[in-house]
Amino acid sequence: MNQPLAGYAPAPVTARMENHGNHMLKVALQTGNDLLARVGSMVAYEGFVQYEPNPPAVRQIARDWMTGEGAPLMKCSGDGLLYLADYGANVVVINLNGDGISVNATNLLAFDAHLTWGVERVKGLAKFAGQGLWNTKISGQGWVALTSRGKPIVVDCGGGEDETYVDPDALVAWSPNLKVKGKRSFKAQSLIGRGSGEAYQMAFSGQGIVVVQPSEDSTDRLRVRG
Amino acid sequence: MPREFQRGHKARISDLTAGTDLYVGVQITAPGLTFDISCFGLDADERLSDDRYFIFFNQPKSPEESIQLLGAQAGDTESFRITLDRIPQQIQKLSFTATLDGAGQMSQISPGYLRIVAGGEEVARYAFNGSEFSSERAVMLGDFYLKDVWRFAAVGQGFDGGLDALLKNFGGEVGGEGAPAAPQQPQAGAATPGFAPPAFGAPSAPAPAQPQPAAQGFAPPPGATPPAPAPSVHAAPTIIAPLTPPGGGHVPPPAPAPAPYGQPPQPQPYGQGPAPTAPMPPGYGQQPQAPQAPQAPPGYGQPPQPPGYGQQPPFGQVPGQQAYGVPQGAPQGGAGVAAALQQFKETPTGQRWTQQNRKLVRVDLGMGGQPVLARQGSMVLYQGKVDFSYKGAGFAGRIVGNATGQEMQLMRCTGQGQVFLAENSTMLHPIELQGDGICVSAENVLAFDESLQYEVRRIEGHGIPGGALFTMQFTGTGTIVVKTHGTPVVLPVTPTTFADCNAVVAWSSAAQVVVSSQVRMRRNAYPGDTGESVNLQFRGAPGNFIVVQPYEV
Repeated sequence: MNQPLAGYAPAPVTARMENHGNHMLKVALQTGNDLLARVGSMVAYEGFVQYEPNPPAVRQIARDWMTGEGAPLMKCSGDGLLYLADYGANVVVINLNGDGISVNATNLLAFDAHLTWGVERVKGLAKFAGQGLWNTKISGQGWVALTSRGKPIVVDCGGGEDETYVDPDALVAWSPNLKVKGKRSFKAQSLIGRGSGEAYQMAFSGQGIVVVQPSEDSTDRLRVRG
Repeated sequence: MPREFQRGHKARISDLTAGTDLYVGVQITAPGLTFDISCFGLDADERLSDDRYFIFFNQPKSPEESIQLLGAQAGDTESFRITLDRIPQQIQKLSFTATLDGAGQMSQISPGYLRIVAGGEEVARYAFNGSEFSSERAVMLGDFYLKDVWRFAAVGQGFDGGLDALLKNFGGEVGGEGAPAAPQQPQAGAATPGFAPPAFGAPSAPAPAQPQPAAQGFAPPPGATPPAPAPSVHAAPTIIAPLTPPGGGHVPPPAPAPAPYGQPPQPQPYGQGPAPTAPMPPGYGQQPQAPQAPQAPPGYGQPPQPPGYGQQPPFGQVPGQQAYGVPQGAPQGGAGVAAALQQFKETPTGQRWTQQNRKLVRVDLGMGGQPVLARQGSMVLYQGKVDFSYKGAGFAGRIVGNATGQEMQLMRCTGQGQVFLAENSTMLHPIELQGDGICVSAENVLAFDESLQYEVRRIEGHGIPGGALFTMQFTGTGTIVVKTHGTPVVLPVTPTTFADCNAVVAWSSAAQVVVSSQVRMRRNAYPGDTGESVNLQFRGAPGNFIVVQPYEV
């Protein structure tokens, strides 16, 4: 009966964060090595895991996030295996190893609590903050998991003066050392983007990468559910 | 959802999974028979130049442990763990074979499969059964081969001799007589180009499998022997062919093998524990590998055993009830953002239209020098000096568009640079038109070269809501990108091809004549149909096709 399903059993743990399939994240939790994850992203766990939504430390760092209604993060602690997912979005696991990455708030799934992180508003794009172009800058030695609607693509910005332009709805993450600019197409004829008549892109330049998802659906499903 | 392979299909491993740590499971059983399943690590000349890469019951792993034999588990008669990025340079091909141990022939086998599991997810499955074979005593099931990147080919080629003949075929030595096999090698090497095409290559000419005396090291060129059911779909020059993603998994040939799911499970591998199905020759008992795997015979009534990946030397822990260790080591590919994202890197340029992955397509405007028309809002990223401008349909176009619903909100992309197009995670399919035509419903068009002409066509018929149905017909020379929700099916047009008009995405508007694939509306095509849905019937010369998505708008 379970013969076809047996292939989906979890593989043995080899790292703190791993993909189970393309759409699920498996985290090995250990006491003293806490995890911050999006509220509502837990789909299963095994072992002794405790959850603390909106912990004080997070509130301090993320007090600006979403007009102060509380950061959508929970602290997971204990010993066990934790499975996280975000409505079937692809999950990308990154071992930072000293690097830093700037992640769109919607696309952040989980990260190690001991990492250095902070919430900031994307400079120059404040006017576009209809759905919140907040990003979380994370760096240090540890693991981060991102979500992406569809398999993402990573583009190297090249390092020169050339700019790479990204639709903000499709943006997932970028290297924090890139220069970010808002770009508006002023031509009256330019009508790109979501049929709104607004044409704007984010321009990145410098040495680093940009991660983009193949979808312009940037709604925060975990938040919409509440 | 594993991709189903048929005999002769090939695909890049990277298209199946981003992982390089793969589990390969083989299920092959027959009443009263036992099989030896082995893996040959071959060099560029398809020779087993290093005996240590002949992985079988007596030698369950390669020196650097990139190929490991794991034993029977999780419904598989035999299983392997393949770590592609640790396979040494000189090994260019891994051939998975099954040989009969004892009397019998391959036509007796029950339906079986070879499957690839990565990260706990089955990504590919090649099913076969006894009807594809005759009196062979061995079968080459599938190959992993290195051609720029690692690829998988479902081979399914029968072989007359036993294990030693197979070994000889690959240039290995059985006892002392390795010499006769050597002259055969050029022959085998000459056949390798058969593996070259990235898509399903045209199935080789059906050569009758001549039973040969097993004594002389026969080396039928791989790829030529099986009387491959050469489906006309493949041979016919469908215009979708040039840009079909490698593997072309959604072009279904007539399936000779029944799906393995429906069959009753084979009792054989279950009852017996970790012991191999083959009678143990001396030396097997050592079991130097796989400390975990044998502990629990996989199968019914037990917690499902993770297939493969049993042994991770650095962290030799068994998952489950024990303390959850948290290995903090770096992942295999190395640490850091760049390493983790390596698999999502941009594919190299070189063409005007490049499929980045199944949901992203890149157009290089600098090549060809003509503008691209794309659906508004489909740009996710661009580099270079690209100008986006509104593309109006014109006065007449707007009237027609409004009246027919075949309206496209387009933007014109001009300039020099690369534009990445995607929309809503739908799957994208670039189709190259070379003077022929294709009919696509307007909402399934993502982008196209401006050199293409398009017009609204009317499909007449009774019982259609609104009186008629409209579609866009594209003709000319250039590329059009069609989007589908989910993996589509591409059907050849036969006298009895029907499709739901809500699910059909595109069809070829006849390669030779302008309108030879006529479209007919039929009400009540199926008994019991209430008439609310309209089915389209397609007719046309061979070579025409229709594309249907698993999603009714």
